[in-house]
Amino acid sequence: MTQPPDGRPEPGPVVEGPGDWQRLDPRMLLVHPVQETVRLLPVLLGVLVAGTASGARGWQLLGLLVPVVLGLLRYVTTSYRVGGGRVELRRGLLERHVLSTPVDRVRTVDLTASPVHRLLGLTTVRVGTGTASTDEDERLDLDGLPAEVARRLREELLRAARAARPADPEHAGADDPFATGTPAPPAPPVVAFDPAWARFAPLTSTGLVVVAGLLGGTVQLLDALGGLRRLDAGSWADRVAGVPVLVAGAGLLLALAVASSVLAVSGYLVANWGFTLGHADRAWHLRRGLLTTRETSIDDARLAGVTLGEPLGLRLAGGGRLAAIVTGLGDGQESSSVLVPPAPRAVVGSAARAVLGVAAPVDVPLVRHGRAATRRRWTRALLPALLVTAACLLLATRSAWWLGPAVVAPLAAAALAADRARALGHALTDGYVVTRSGSLYRRRHVLAVGAVIGWNVRSTWFQRRAGLVTLVATTAGGRQSVAVPDVPEAAALALAARATPALVEPFLDRSPNRSPDRTPGPTGTATAGRP
Amino acid sequence: MLASVAGVIHPPAADPVLLREPRHRVSPRARLMWQVTALVEGAVTIGVLLLVALAVDAVEVRWWMIAVAVAAVLGWVAVVPQWRYAVHRWEVTATAVRTQTGWWAREQRIAPLSRIQTVDRAEGAVARLFGLATVTVTTASAAGALEIDGLDRRLADDLVAELTARADAVEGDAT
Repeated sequence: MTQPPDGRPEPGPVVEGPGDWQRLDPRMLLVHPVQETVRLLPVLLGVLVAGTASGARGWQLLGLLVPVVLGLLRYVTTSYRVGGGRVELRRGLLERHVLSTPVDRVRTVDLTASPVHRLLGLTTVRVGTGTASTDEDERLDLDGLPAEVARRLREELLRAARAARPADPEHAGADDPFATGTPAPPAPPVVAFDPAWARFAPLTSTGLVVVAGLLGGTVQLLDALGGLRRLDAGSWADRVAGVPVLVAGAGLLLALAVASSVLAVSGYLVANWGFTLGHADRAWHLRRGLLTTRETSIDDARLAGVTLGEPLGLRLAGGGRLAAIVTGLGDGQESSSVLVPPAPRAVVGSAARAVLGVAAPVDVPLVRHGRAATRRRWTRALLPALLVTAACLLLATRSAWWLGPAVVAPLAAAALAADRARALGHALTDGYVVTRSGSLYRRRHVLAVGAVIGWNVRSTWFQRRAGLVTLVATTAGGRQSVAVPDVPEAAALALAARATPALVEPFLDRSPNRSPDRTPGPTGTATAGRP
Repeated sequence: MLASVAGVIHPPAADPVLLREPRHRVSPRARLMWQVTALVEGAVTIGVLLLVALAVDAVEVRWWMIAVAVAAVLGWVAVVPQWRYAVHRWEVTATAVRTQTGWWAREQRIAPLSRIQTVDRAEGAVARLFGLATVTVTTASAAGALEIDGLDRRLADDLVAELTARADAVEGDAT
């Protein structure tokens, strides 16, 4: 790695000089026992019950002492230091862990404060390095610094990390109107929370999954009550007898839907209360949380693009969500890349425009993928649906109820196909590759050209017959790639060549009489179906 | 028609510009390796299926079943490695690495040398028998690894040395 330039101030007047191991905030002595008690609650209850039963009072006292001692030990054995271009954390009594990371590998610094922390004015600092490790023990968490110190430490770490890195290639955010370079006074937030957004909570895919699960459960319950079996018999008398069961089922379903909505809304409010997104000191800062507050920052230089997500439910209700594609932050760290939780489309759009610094990638009409791509959407949706229909028609000879799915399946597939075809599109504007696809979960990816590492061009035999390819731009953030599905081959290569001419141009074939079929199969019959 | 409805027009498609093929094929011995591997795998699969069928005793094994299975394996061995060999190609220029792999589903990958993170050379037990090696080039994206299977061993060595030298010449962490 490149050495930090000379004269760079040591990160952290927070610590007195490099090499000083220091303890976390002493107030953690109050937090740890509470946390340990909660963690050991089942065991403690067991001890308590056993103690009462046996009449031995001493055991109970000992049981209550355990979490206090554990908390004390945790405090005494944990220390950290920031200095000499490194962040280090030492912890553990029996199994000593020493975590150490160079400052220039620091990618995110998140501040989290549980209610207990907040009561005592403390905050947990989580230093993110984009490591692939998911081991809880290998996280660099400084659990318990005074909120003021934590905030200063975060600023210093992010600034030091930025100074130690070589100048990034032209990334997103370089043309950011907010990026003034000097620590500006806190600008008004780009997005500020409105409790009315919680109406979108039951409509997200997670909400729908919950509802679907409840639906399945209800059907099973009905089945267990004998309702479905009676309906299956198909005779009128039985169906009339079954009506009360149906009504009861519908009522139950409604109750479950209401309950799950309430759960979703309260979950949304707890997680996102007080949400703000603002820009200061060359980074985007998020703050949210009703009980446990979370503050995350995304460095401008690491912001490679954004993804506007519209799950079907949200889309129908006029909502959406926004996530950042952050270089060096994988898919597993999604919580760090949220830019706007489910919110009205206008809010999401304006946030995306502000974050990108330009409006066009969010608003520009996309180049459509044409008739071949549309046809492919239809065949791919209708073929399985027609198989389902055929199977249902066979079963319909036994029970007329199977006629329902036989009719519904192709209709749903047609709606899906039309919507998926409508979604397909791509564009290249203001230095961003834009692509949109999907119906049940529609996403519009906006990726800075500078963050595109390379290209993958995929095609199955069927796609080649239709003259289509799937163009994939690889990147080092988010889902690691952004795909333009089923785009005509020439349009795909035009997009790639215009986005990264130096990379793609040398490989383009401009000779006028190139053979249309460039990679014949072994006997020449493999691609004979191609016109 | 769709395009005009949306008010957006496709880029002129008068003379579509496509990717030309990467320059180099892999070693012809790779085709032999794939054929042998496919044959061995097919034989083992049939053997295991036969054993299971005889042990379970649920299905009566008939000669025509074995004949069909053998024919399928032979057909696969005759067509797929050859097809794969016709598709697999690679190229390294002053600025980029390219590969083309697959047979039914094909994939071309392009990565700039400036974004290379690791260059890996692997020799499987079977590949060693044929004097072949696999070179894998990774970038900072988990979706962007380029794999050249079935390279002549000495060529692979040279390629790794060259790619490593070029990747070293670039500053930064290549993300």
